[in-house]
Amino acid sequence: MRDPIATLRNRWSDSDARTDGGSATESERSLLSRDSVRSAPFWLPPFLLVGLFVYGAVVWNFLLSLTDFSGIGEPDYTDLDVENYLVAFADPIDGLLSTVGMGGEVNGATPAWSDLTVEPVWNSLGNTIALMVGFSAVCLALGLLLAILVDRGIRFENTFRTIYLLPMSLSFVVTAKFWLYMYNPNTGLINVALGVVGIGPVQIVQNPDLKLAAVAFALIWQFSGYAMIVYLAALRGIPSSHFEAARVDGASTVKMYWRVIIPQLRTATVSALVVITVFALKAFDFLFSMYGGYQPGPSADILATRMVREAYANQNWAYGSTIAVILFVMALCIVAPYVYSQYRRGDL
Amino acid sequence: MSSDTNETGRSRRSVLASAAAVGATGLAGCSSLTGGGGGPDNPIQLLHAWSSGDGNAAIAALIEGFQEAHPDVEFAEEPVNGAARGNLDQVIGNRLQANDPPSTFQTWPGATLEKFGDAYASIEEDVWTDEVEENYLPGPKKQAKLDGTYVTVPLNIHRINNLFYNTAVLDEAGVDPESLSSPADVVEACAAVAENTDAVPFAQQTSGTWSTVQLWETALLAQAGVDGYTAFTEGEGDVEQVRAALEHVVELSEYYPSDASSISFTEANTMVMEGDAAFIHQGDWAAGAYSGNDEFNYGEDWGQVTYPGSEGSYLLNMDSFPYFDNNPSPEATKTFLSYCASTEGQVLFNREKGSIPPRKDADVSELNTFQQDQYEDFTGADSQPPSIQHGLAVSTGIKTNITSAFSGFLEDYDVDATAEALVGAFE
Repeated sequence: MRDPIATLRNRWSDSDARTDGGSATESERSLLSRDSVRSAPFWLPPFLLVGLFVYGAVVWNFLLSLTDFSGIGEPDYTDLDVENYLVAFADPIDGLLSTVGMGGEVNGATPAWSDLTVEPVWNSLGNTIALMVGFSAVCLALGLLLAILVDRGIRFENTFRTIYLLPMSLSFVVTAKFWLYMYNPNTGLINVALGVVGIGPVQIVQNPDLKLAAVAFALIWQFSGYAMIVYLAALRGIPSSHFEAARVDGASTVKMYWRVIIPQLRTATVSALVVITVFALKAFDFLFSMYGGYQPGPSADILATRMVREAYANQNWAYGSTIAVILFVMALCIVAPYVYSQYRRGDL
Repeated sequence: MSSDTNETGRSRRSVLASAAAVGATGLAGCSSLTGGGGGPDNPIQLLHAWSSGDGNAAIAALIEGFQEAHPDVEFAEEPVNGAARGNLDQVIGNRLQANDPPSTFQTWPGATLEKFGDAYASIEEDVWTDEVEENYLPGPKKQAKLDGTYVTVPLNIHRINNLFYNTAVLDEAGVDPESLSSPADVVEACAAVAENTDAVPFAQQTSGTWSTVQLWETALLAQAGVDGYTAFTEGEGDVEQVRAALEHVVELSEYYPSDASSISFTEANTMVMEGDAAFIHQGDWAAGAYSGNDEFNYGEDWGQVTYPGSEGSYLLNMDSFPYFDNNPSPEATKTFLSYCASTEGQVLFNREKGSIPPRKDADVSELNTFQQDQYEDFTGADSQPPSIQHGLAVSTGIKTNITSAFSGFLEDYDVDATAEALVGAFE
């Protein structure tokens, strides 16, 4: 498809042409013969469908978050306000501090649409960010390490690659049940391994200090293979002359990767990061299966579980939409810099 | 040739006639949608989540019995797969948003009815006849009402305040289950099991919150009595009583399996069956698993006592079929609900489900010995308080708060914070 800005520019120049006295039939013909118009049957239907069902739904969800919609019935769009956002971010300073483990108790508020106190989102927001940062940082580091190792021309390279990538093909439900077993204090492999080095059986699944880390660890196991594949592809794209030049200049292996190779993996890092953090935002299925519902407990409660709880258990649709908007903005914050950098480099 | 023509003619006519009939049915459907009623009904749309196991056998038996009794009423059974009530509620919620309710669906009665409150209609005259009303006990009757009006038909009762035990393990430990008379006695019995046997004293799962909420509500009932329990469910609970019940749970948690947080209810229950655990506190669906095992027999290998301290109470967990306003099949639905309110339907259903009929005049001779004993307890019970965990006692918003409080409790067993959160769940 042509660059939309170029298309726009053409259109302007066309209308200029008309004021210059070009005949209408000519401009009509040129309008119809334009690439973007002639290809419209191909791009317009999906464009409209995506516009309606994705971006339309996003806008609708945002509108819903401004209403007082709860229970069954129809939302009332005549009385829109940001009350739900005020409830969600009640007590901003203490709330923000509490997400980093400081600050006092944050009290919930009772919005107009509820008889019960509604808690702000600080706790689940903090957990979501912690999970996102911890999981994606380790996942990328591990993926890079694996990619470099696999790229070193080891034997059974393909076999290793498949083994590392395999967990990604499993669904969250399977991995959650699997890790529930892995973390079992009596029979789970993690505790058996810890036992070998003399660390006696540890309660993990319901341990408030380890819960979120345990979830992140399981997700790392599942997705570091993906990071590896992305890095591997990028490594294969680097000409071998770069490696050779570094060698000739006397760089050690570590230095070669650190100074020459890794800086060239920037694009791969950003694209893997985007996908991986979005997986972290969606860890709902994992928590749902592991804790048998959308109540994983305060130390592992993320925005996604909170959202489903508000929307489907309590039927607080408007408040659920509010949390969905917060999640959407978070995802946008991750994707936007990526899209912008791609745009700057002219890749978009 | 002419007969051929006649044939075609007739078949054309019959096609036309059936098309007209379909149209008429559609119209009748429309008129019933607008509340007009009359004319032939649409088939009954029954949505439930009993897609496997004993629940599936039970609903199949109920529908089969109904169809034998009412061959003229059509059924369009639509089980919602996933076997989770949560999914079912979402489906119902979506259909109600679209103003397209089914005939009826599987739901907890009691406070859970508030969730779709406005969508139900009264069946006081058509289903809850005097004969039906006389034969339900006060507890289940109260749960069948929304704001004082009958809108649903309770179909079965699972009891929550049970303590199941493995006879051989208790014999070895020298514990007589019949002698236990208070929650504190259970803790002592667990200590004796821990001392005298290799078995885990109290099988429990803690990866999900539900088993712990059940245990706590049973402890609250046993310690604070029906009055204290009811006061809590009405939002006027005494924080000291709540705390005492939580402390009982903490004491018992010392005797849980060491991997309680990683196992499921099924695994915990299997521990009792295999003699690896002495006690389990559960709803009487636990017994359903025992009855599937030929070498684990009621009275010989396992037994059940009312949770010590809660004698005289039958802590209710029920399923029910409510009646939706704007019903796609008004008459047929009422006929079906009346069948569910009959002893015949209830016995057919509960024989498979392992629960007991909510009517007090059922002929339970077809049920197994354990169910008969439970039924005797039920009809002789002084009170039938509704379960909190199983959605009867509190509305869904409050229940979410209570579950949240317990999801925190399972992390650190902080009695004070949880007690405050529980009392605060109503605010």
